[in-house]
Parts: sequence; structure tokens; C-alpha cells
Amino acid sequence: MGGWKRYGMRLLAHVPMAGLGGLFVFPFYWLFISAFKDRDQIFKLPPEFLPDPWILENFARVFRETHVIGAFVNSVVIAGGHVAFALFLCSLAGYAFAKFPRAPGRDKLFAFVLATMMIPGAVLLIPVFAVLCKLHAVNTYWAMIVPGAASAFGIFWMRQYASENVHNDLLDAARIDGCSEFQIYWRVVVPILKPALAALGIVLVIGIWNNLMWAFIVLRTESMYTLPLVIYLLQGEQRIPFELIMAGSVVATLPLLVAFLAFQKNFIEGITAGSIKG
Amino acid sequence: MGRGLCRRVWAHRHFYVFISPFFILFGVFGLYPLVFSFYLSFTQWDGLTEVTWVGLGNFRNLVHDELFLASLWNTLVIGVLYIPPMFLGAFVFALALNTGWLKLRGIFRAAFFMPCVTPMVVVAIVFSLIYSEDSGLLNYALGKVGEIFPPLRIEPIAWLTSDRWFKPAVALLLVWRWTGYNMVLMLAGLQGISTEYYEAARIDGAGVFQRMWHITLPLMRPVFVFCAIMSLIGTVYMFDEIFVMTQGGLGGPGVSGINFGLYLFNTSFADFKFGYASSMAYTLSFFVFLASLLILRLRKSET
Amino acid sequence: MFLCFDRLRCWVWAVLVVTLGVCLWAWGEPLVLDPPTAPGDLDADIEVWAWNIAAGSLEHLTPMFNEIYPRCRVRVNMNGTNVQSRFLLSLAAGVGAPDVMQLQVRETPRYSMTGKLTDLTEVAKKYEHDFPPSFWQDCMHDGRVYGIPWDIGPGGIFYKRSIFEACGVDPESIVTWDDYVSAGVTIMKKSGGKTKMLCLPRGMLVELFEPLLQQSGGQIFDKEGRLAINSKESLQVLRVMRRMLEMGIGANINFWTHEFLASLKSRAVATYVAGAWFGGTIRDDAPTTSGDWGVIRLPEIEPGGLRTSNFGGSTLVIPDQCKNKEAAWRFIEFALCTKEAQIEQFRAFELYPALLSTHSDPFFDEPEPFYGGQKTRRQFSLDIDKIPTMYRTSNWVETERYINQTFSRWVNDRMKDPEGMLAQLEEKLSRRLGCGISPGSLSLGGRD
Repeated sequence: MGGWKRYGMRLLAHVPMAGLGGLFVFPFYWLFISAFKDRDQIFKLPPEFLPDPWILENFARVFRETHVIGAFVNSVVIAGGHVAFALFLCSLAGYAFAKFPRAPGRDKLFAFVLATMMIPGAVLLIPVFAVLCKLHAVNTYWAMIVPGAASAFGIFWMRQYASENVHNDLLDAARIDGCSEFQIYWRVVVPILKPALAALGIVLVIGIWNNLMWAFIVLRTESMYTLPLVIYLLQGEQRIPFELIMAGSVVATLPLLVAFLAFQKNFIEGITAGSIKG
Repeated sequence: MGRGLCRRVWAHRHFYVFISPFFILFGVFGLYPLVFSFYLSFTQWDGLTEVTWVGLGNFRNLVHDELFLASLWNTLVIGVLYIPPMFLGAFVFALALNTGWLKLRGIFRAAFFMPCVTPMVVVAIVFSLIYSEDSGLLNYALGKVGEIFPPLRIEPIAWLTSDRWFKPAVALLLVWRWTGYNMVLMLAGLQGISTEYYEAARIDGAGVFQRMWHITLPLMRPVFVFCAIMSLIGTVYMFDEIFVMTQGGLGGPGVSGINFGLYLFNTSFADFKFGYASSMAYTLSFFVFLASLLILRLRKSET
Repeated sequence: MFLCFDRLRCWVWAVLVVTLGVCLWAWGEPLVLDPPTAPGDLDADIEVWAWNIAAGSLEHLTPMFNEIYPRCRVRVNMNGTNVQSRFLLSLAAGVGAPDVMQLQVRETPRYSMTGKLTDLTEVAKKYEHDFPPSFWQDCMHDGRVYGIPWDIGPGGIFYKRSIFEACGVDPESIVTWDDYVSAGVTIMKKSGGKTKMLCLPRGMLVELFEPLLQQSGGQIFDKEGRLAINSKESLQVLRVMRRMLEMGIGANINFWTHEFLASLKSRAVATYVAGAWFGGTIRDDAPTTSGDWGVIRLPEIEPGGLRTSNFGGSTLVIPDQCKNKEAAWRFIEFALCTKEAQIEQFRAFELYPALLSTHSDPFFDEPEPFYGGQKTRRQFSLDIDKIPTMYRTSNWVETERYINQTFSRWVNDRMKDPEGMLAQLEEKLSRRLGCGISPGSLSLGGRD
């Protein structure tokens, strides 16, 4: 008897969970259907939970009239460049810290790297902008790709992973074979680091793809804008085109969302791996 | 001695080459800006004309600047409003996802975490639609509830335009946004607790609450500390949400909505008071640093 | 930390010198067209940033411009989000600023002072006397001209005839602000509280405060840039605003929001205290209300006082980084300094021309069906030359923002003790902006 009761209660517990889950998903649902509605329909009360009719024109218009396509390309280039650059830099340094124990000053240098994690980004906004101005690098892809790439957190993570998973015998064997140090890194170490690279890469991608503030500061012409920036600026157009904003938002959100749903495990691992060990 | 060192350095030259990109980048985009910013906090500079030295003037103005103090207060209130429910929600969801009998765990996890992969711009825009006073869904839903249960009837709430409700509206958005993230972290923490502890406790006759109190909570301490520090830093420097929802970064009605992150941004890139902004950033970073140390102490103190 | 202090100081000086050098080097050369390019030969692409109907009117003018300069292509960018931030960031970065920029009259001095605008004195000084003196002053800095006045906003009260008729209010009876408030109370009563007299957003009170202050001859800063806001004129204006708020005739709707624009078409709000350009907004967003509008002259603050003031207005400037300065100048010259273009903008978009020579055009005396046959253009042109100059500083916008926030809090505190509030406001602003207080201020026991 107790068994059935417990089973019933457990089943019942699913209801509030489902309700809450539904609440969490609801804004996405609302965003998605609003992208298919007319501007007045978006604001209509009582609300239409299913667009009637389904208007595809918003997407056509957003591609035609706004810079969403160009911004998508920019976002991809910047995200790809940033992640590639940061992964390269962090894995290289992390491997070095892990596998060169007798280099003079290694520990002190690593402590220095860790210390830099404590620097709050807020303090750096203005001076980094001023530096970029002087280097005439404002409004370039580099302005988005480079500044955040020196990630001490990434180095810490890579070092951790490398020291656990890269075995010295492999390295020694490769050295005997006559590989240069860089070749060893590229051919031997990187493949081993792949899971950690994937996880770190995901964390970085989420940050850079969604970034608004720095994009607003350093991207100065329309041709360079990223997706979040274009969406944000749409709010300032004449007679705010809500239907275009909704359509554009769907375009901005979909890539990461789809990637997340497909690679949930890697995303979660990316978020948690760094924190638990830290 | 020196020559021995040189030889050893040369022997390990690849090490230095491999770590140099980080240090070069850090030098240009980390160290130099850090020092430059420190210098700027003692000056007045509008970014376009010349730099003028003002000594401690900025810091003195900071103390009297009620907008600054108001922004700190707003930040605190928002933090107090959203962090406890978020922590509670995250922990409860993590517990739920950790139990053996919950079906469709993957779907729940996805649902709660989805808000974390969305650009804040999009989140803020969607929520500002929902929060609209006369055409927003929230007020509509509340109105319907009021119709069904007359005692719960209330006036439509001006979520984003009234002093009273702006911060709760932001807090609600933040709860939605961050619960999933913290849930995932806590879930990982829970999964790290060996079931042997629970077995032993059950054999000893400990009830559900006692198991929670004596096993779960203490062992989750590192995760809680990590989440707490992340939340603290996130709350203080939070920017996107209010920037987007108040079109033009006005920060809500009157001074009720400006939080620190937005005020810092406005001072830097709307008023272009680089010197003052730097002093503000340094001052607050210092306090955040102290607060983080304090929270970390909680982790150190073992029972 | 890592360096000894002396090395740090050397480094700091090096940075300072470099920055100074860059800035000095960046200070522009005045624009000289010698020899000027023939209109048919001027080949360039220029980008213009403007917003609202002003942007629309520039677009409208482009074909006319192209008849004279066929190879100058003009692109008007109308996005208004964070324009000030975006413009400043582009000025600082040296890239991304438009060739021609619209600026509000009140912030033009701020930008002139940065040295990042093109010095237009050589090409523009011949037009000095074609514009009202107070507006020309706003375009100048240190004796050099950096912008051209575009439109001005002589003030008035736009009212909905149907509401006034329904509530039995005679527009002619509104002569003083007290009359205005009484009319507002009447309308509220007759409409059962549904119709408010005006939009008075608690968080944007400076939008009404400033024009009324100018109307009464008050100042926020004095000629030397010291604070003069604590004055009897300010108290007068505050008294008027307090009455409006106490009587409840102001709707708490923020300007330019969705709700604000919707109120143009509904019965929620009866009047709008605004500049002449507001007519263009009404036409644009509520064209179906044509014929229902009328304009009353701005009510007096004191008996026999001035019945107009300035509500905004814009100028056009050329950022220094512009690569097509001659084309940009030709565009500005065409749009703002020729009678034809200014009249056309007025005709099509109700942008009240700053160019004085236009005011004698018969267009100003035509009755307008949109306003029920009233001749508003002539009405707006009365006494423009009597509008007192407002002294502006480079931190005008920040000052306004601060005043807004202070007033908002004052309203929350039930508007008690306006004298104390003003005194405190002045003192706080003085400290915040690092400027002194004018000897004429009430805080320093100035004139009574």
C-alpha cells in the first residue's frame, strides 16, 4: 500500500516541476511565435497563443531591411576567431605549465597567472578602449577577438587537464622521434586535450556570441555590428519595428540554442568542470 | 650562477615561448590598462581633450555623489530580491534532478538551463514586452487571476515605469535567467557526494532533514561559495538587462533603476568622464574583492 | 607593485604626453574651400545621422540637393538608440562618425568644445546674420563657428478642439499658466478623470522646466559657467509645475514611448506643451486627427510676460574625421541656408526654420486645415527675437539628467520646500560639475 502512495506522490511531484519548466520555457515560446506575428498582433490582448495567420514576411523583411545577415557573419567570424585564438593560447600555455616542471620560475609565473584572475573587468573597460583607439584597432574584428582572449581561467583549466591526461612517456617518445616542441604540442597534446578544449570553447562561445556591451563600445560602423548589437539598435528605429526585432532575436538566439540542445552534455560539462575543481 | 640560470632558461626556452602569448596579451590588455586606469582615477579626462590631474578629487566627489550611492543601493536591493529565490530554486531543482525517480530529467535540465544560452538583449526585449503596463502578458495574467479570485484583484502594475516595481521586475528576470546556471552547478556538486554517506546515515536512522543538514549542506559548501561569489560579481557589474530594458540606459524611472554596472557605463561612455569612472570602478572593485574574501572564508571554516 | 615608483611616474608622463600629442594633432583645421569644386564635379558619398522627422525631411530634400549636385550621394541614417554615446565613441575612436551629424541646439556647445568638429567659420560666417542671435551663439565656441542652426522650436500649446469643446473650455481664455491649470481641472472633472491636461512624466520634468525657465528669463548657468539655477525665476516655474502636479492634471507618461504616441490619437491627454516641430510628429503618427488640433500661445508666467519660448531645435555639424568635408558642407549649406530648402522642410515636415529670411514668406500666412484653419505658422513666429539666450556649458546634458532625477525625488517627497530643494540642487551640482555658484544666486543672498 505504502508503495503505491509513494509512487502516486512522486508522480504528482512531476506536476509542479512541469509547471515550472513550462514557465521557464514560456518566454522562448512567446518570442518564437511573436516572430510570426504582425506588429499589432504582438500587443493584442487577449494574447494569441498561436499566430493566425503565420506571417513569414518578418523574416524576409529582417533579412532585406536590416543588417542581420551581415551581423550573423560578423558574429560567426568574431566568435570563431575569439574561441580559436583563446583555445590556442590557453592550451599552449596550460600545456607548458603542466609539462615543463623544471623551467626556472615556473611556479611563480603560474601564481602570477592565477592572480590575474582577480582583476575585475570593469576597471579595464576605459583603458582598453583608449589603447585600441591609439592602435587604430577600434571597429575591427581584432577589437572583439583579442582583448578577452588572455584567459587565466582557461590556462588554469588546461593545465589541470593536461597534467592529468597527458602522459610523459608519450612526450618522451615524440621527442626521441625528433619532433620539435611545437609539433609535439600540435600533434600529440592537442588531440588529448580535445574534450577540455570543447568544454572551454563552449563557455567562451556563449560569452562572446551574446556580448553586447563591448560590441557596443568597439564596433562603430554598421558593417561590423554583431547580432546582439543589431537587435539592440533596432529598438531605436523609427516606429520601433517589434516584429522585426522578434524575428531578428530568433535568428540571434537559434544557433546557440540549437547547439545547446544538441550538445547538452558538453555544455553542462563545460560549465561545471571549471567550477568544481576551482 | 647567472650563467647556470641562463643555460637552464635556454634549455627550457620552449616553455617561455609557449607562455609568452598570454603574457604579451596580458601586458597590453591587462596590466597596462590596469595601471593606466589607476592613474586615470586621479584625473579628469573626457577622452577627447586633455587630461587634468585632480588628485583625490574624484574620490571625494564619489562620497557625495548620491547617484553613485543610489546605484549601489539599487544593486543591493536587486541582489537581495533575486539571489535568495534563485539559490533556493536552483537547489530545489538540483535536488529534484538528482533523485532517481524523476522522469524526463534531460528535458527538465534543458528547460531550466535554456535561459543561460540566450543573449541578454533578447531576454530583456521579450521581458519588456511581457512587462508592458497595458499590453503586457503579465498584467493580463494577473488580471485574469483577479477575475477568478476577486480577493486577489489588483490594478495593472507599471512594472518598468514605476519606482516601486522596477527592481522587482528586474529581479524576476534575473531569477529566470540564472536559476538554471546555478542549478547545473549545484547538481554537479550533489552528484559528487558519495552515496555511501547517505547509506551510512540511513542505517544510523537519520531522517530526510537530518541527512540534508549534516551531509548535503556541509558537503555542498564549496559549490555554494562558488555560486555566491559568481552571483555577487554578476550582480554588481550587471549591465545588459537594464541597459536594454530602459532604452538608452536611463535606468528606470527617476533613480530607482540605475544599478552600478549601468551607472559605470553611463559615466564612462555617455558622459565620457573617464577619470571619475575609473575611480568609481577601482573603489567598487576593492569592496567586491573584500566581500569575496569574506565569502571565501566561509569555505575555509570547517565545523 | 612591479615597478619602482619613479619608473611608474616616467611611464605615466610618457602616456600623458602621447595622449596630449595625439589630441593636439587631432585638433582640426578650419574648412576652407579654395577653390571650391564645381557642383557638377563634386563626387562623394556622405552619411547623415539624424532622427525623427528631421531625418525624414533630410531624406525628402535629397532629390532637390541632387539636382544641383548630381554626383553627391546622401544616405540618411535614422536610428536614435543611444545616439549620443555612439557619436561620442566614434569621435573618440576616430572612426564611425557620420559626415553630417544632427545635434540638439542645447548640446552643440559641448561638442564644439571637444575640438572634434570641423571649424566652419571660413565658409559659414557670411550666414551669421541670417539666423536669430541666440541660436547662432549656440553654434559657436571661442569665436569660431562649428554648426549651423537648423530648426527652432518656438513654443505653444497644441490642444484637441473636440475635447475643449466637449468640456466647454475656451482656448482664448488661457492667458496665464494659472488659467491653464484651471482649464485642466475643468477638463478632468468633465471627463470624469479620464482626460488629463498634459503629459507630465515625473522622471522627465526638465523638459518642461527648461523652456519655462527660459521664458521667464532665468538661467541654469550664468555667462561665466557658474550655477545660477537657484533663482526666483526657477521658483516661479516650480510653483507652476507644482500646481499642475497637485491638481493631478499631468499624466505620468514618458515622452516618445509607445503610450505617448498612442495618446495623440486617444482622449487620454488634451494638450501638449511643445515646440512648433511637434506638429510634424502629430501629422506623422496620428494623421487621422487632422482638423481637430489648434495651437494656443504659451501662457504667461507673469502678467504681460513673454508668450513664447524655445523647445529644442537642432543644428547640423561636420565631425572632423569626415572624409568628404566639401560635400558635407554643401549639403548643410543647401539644406539650412537656402530659403527654398528651409521652406520645403517646413512645408513637408513642420520643421520651423531658423533661417530668418523665410519668415516673410507668404507660406507663413496660409490657414492650415490640420489646425482647423488656424494660421499657426505666423503665430509661432511672433516674438522669436525676444526669446532670451540660455547660457550653456559642456556638461549640459549631464546637468539636465541630474535635475531630472532631483525633481523626480522631489515629487516623490510630495513637493515640499522647493526653496530648500533648489538650494541643495545647486550646491550638489556645483560639487558634481566642479563649477562655482553665481553671485546672483539666492543661495549666496543674491538679488531678491
